[in-house]
Amino acid sequence: MSTQTSTENTVGYVPEHTPRMQFAQHAPEVYKAMIRLDAAARQGVDPTLYELVKIRASQLNHCAFCLDMHTKDALAAGERVERIVQLSAWEESRHFYTAKELAAIELTEAVTVLTDGFVPDEVYERAAKQFEEAELAQLIAAITVINAWNRIGVTTRMVPGHYQSGQHK
Amino acid sequence: MSRTQILDREVAQAMSALSAASKKGLGDPVLAELVMIRASQLNHCAFCLDMHLRLARKSGESQDRVQLLDAWEETEDLYSERERAALALTEAVTVLTGGVPDEVYERAAHHFGEAELAHLIGLITAINGWNRLMVSRRVPPGGYQP
Repeated sequence: MSTQTSTENTVGYVPEHTPRMQFAQHAPEVYKAMIRLDAAARQGVDPTLYELVKIRASQLNHCAFCLDMHTKDALAAGERVERIVQLSAWEESRHFYTAKELAAIELTEAVTVLTDGFVPDEVYERAAKQFEEAELAQLIAAITVINAWNRIGVTTRMVPGHYQSGQHK
Repeated sequence: MSRTQILDREVAQAMSALSAASKKGLGDPVLAELVMIRASQLNHCAFCLDMHLRLARKSGESQDRVQLLDAWEETEDLYSERERAALALTEAVTVLTGGVPDEVYERAAHHFGEAELAHLIGLITAINGWNRLMVSRRVPPGGYQP
């Protein structure tokens, strides 16, 4: 992964957009709280699982910057390309994932598209079967946090393509 | 099956810091309650609705403005242009799967300075976070005392 990925093979592509605002600069205390929240929520969540959760939520929320970041982080951590590519069709590619991962991905979808209505009992219960209670509570917090980053990323139109894995760790 | 009521202390404290910093930077507590009620309506968060309806009532918000918030677009004279711009942004950032359209963002940018707008985005993000934490764990309404 390098910044070259955003400059090579781009002949004929439309120009890169600029962000709508520099969020961290205009709301530094809010940004600091987000960093603190991020660190708190990831405690007790398996990092491999969390990357899948972050990618799936970012797909649903169409957060380009977040997808750039989390796919690069997942690949750098040794995640298989196939598991990342198949994630948006996980219901049809279940054998790429563990039962625990599937329960977490399903919970991620329910918690992410909340405006469509609640978190169904069957989704919650499948997750509760796979995760111990404290672990499940952290997973819910972790899904909440990537949803928060997605909101900031999409609203301020953060620019994808320049992230280098490990940059924000 | 009852749902977990565990909320990690550090997560809760960071969430509170996120809300507090956003509210402070926005500097408009009346608008902040409207934003938090509207997001909680869209996300169907019973605990959050109960809490923010109580807070709005306690701060002297009019019953009409609270009750008609779900239909703010059809009630032109109840909310200011600035509030309407903030509510439109709240809806776009909350639903999110349709993106945040340029006209919605620009309408908000017209009424809010960049720092105010950043904190408004922070506040919408924060209440969406609380909505997710409460709905996922099915925290019952009524537990909040102002």
